[in-house]
Amino acid sequence: MSNSSPFIPSLEHLTRQRGVLGSLIVSETDGIVIDAVVQPTVKAPVVAALAASLYRRARQSAHAAGLGGVKYLELVADGGRLCMAGRDDLVVVLVTDTRVGVGLLRVELLRTAAELPE
Amino acid sequence: MSASDDIRRWSDELARTPASMVFLPLGEALRTRGQTGVALRVAMRGLERHPYDADAHDLLARIYVDRGETEKALDEWDAAIRCTPGHAGALKGMGFVCFNQGRLVDAERYLAEAAAASPEDDGLALALQRVRDEIASANNASPSANATPEPAPVVASTEPVVEHTSNGSGTPNGNGAQEGVVAFAEGDAQFESSDPRRLFADLIGVADQAALLLDEDGLVLAGEYVVSGGQDVGAEVGAALSGISDEARRAMRHLPLGDWRTIIFETPAATVVMTPAPGDGLALVAAAPEVPSGLVRRALESVSQRAKRWMERLS
Repeated sequence: MSNSSPFIPSLEHLTRQRGVLGSLIVSETDGIVIDAVVQPTVKAPVVAALAASLYRRARQSAHAAGLGGVKYLELVADGGRLCMAGRDDLVVVLVTDTRVGVGLLRVELLRTAAELPE
Repeated sequence: MSASDDIRRWSDELARTPASMVFLPLGEALRTRGQTGVALRVAMRGLERHPYDADAHDLLARIYVDRGETEKALDEWDAAIRCTPGHAGALKGMGFVCFNQGRLVDAERYLAEAAAASPEDDGLALALQRVRDEIASANNASPSANATPEPAPVVASTEPVVEHTSNGSGTPNGNGAQEGVVAFAEGDAQFESSDPRRLFADLIGVADQAALLLDEDGLVLAGEYVVSGGQDVGAEVGAALSGISDEARRAMRHLPLGDWRTIIFETPAATVVMTPAPGDGLALVAAAPEVPSGLVRRALESVSQRAKRWMERLS
């Protein structure tokens, strides 16, 4: 992951938010990490693969249910959250602990996703 | 021009002219984007300069609803009505909250006044009709109908249109319906339903919401999802969406986040929230995108608790 990547400033901004353990941009199709800024405890390749799979499934399910494309997805677990927003094949993923302020983070995430290249 | 551009433009204008009424669209845009904290500050500052503006009170009330502060919201709507008697937005909001609290008679009164103030609002007219149907249905079912509201027809749609189901009589509908007869207490209210499809009807909003309880195979156990044509598409939606929970369960086995509790996703047509239900099932609430997400999440909590008790009764 090169520091020269155009995504890094956005990911660094997201990861600086309170409660955010890491932010990644992943390919929805194959679940690989495009770029990531994560704390050492976060296994970026694992998160990328699982988040991409979950987002893909949600998108397919929502489409099958006639609801249209998923623009934001949030999984709340006992120990934290996975928040995702996608654009075409790219998905911005946040891993957070339980202290996170979701409202603001959701806005930041959607903004970052909107800035991804088409 | 994008919403971000509008927000920037309105913010600039407000900075240049602090007394400008542009805080109203700015606050609403921020609220819609989920920035309720910023929206709250904008609305409060606007109200400081325009304390007798009903729209400003209405804006603040809707922000409070988004934040789950219902009592404060009612206070603000009350202030809006004092500033401008018959303010349609305030009356509609109060009707919405009363409905959610099971106060059908109050809801009917507010919605009727709101409908009179804005006769062109078709959605409002449908919502009012729905509340009246429920009151009539409850009156048919019990002499103390106001205290024991009959479950409402569930409303939701891939197109956010208020819709009614026809089974207003509360009579069993379909084979084996008697087996589903349940009665359980919730606080002061006695809930009784002979039709599992209406199990959550009194818990969800006055418009554009649906609730479903699915089993581990994605089959509908209770609730319904009625779209604008009047068709219940719960089976299709349930089957399609249940796969998401399987994927979540799989993901959680590999991530150090513990068990999953809730999944929320937003599409252009709906906001959907889901949570695990007993027996590897799934409870979900869907609402039109314009329904405040805080209300959708709160509706899911109520639906989930009722689903749990209902399942316990069945087992």
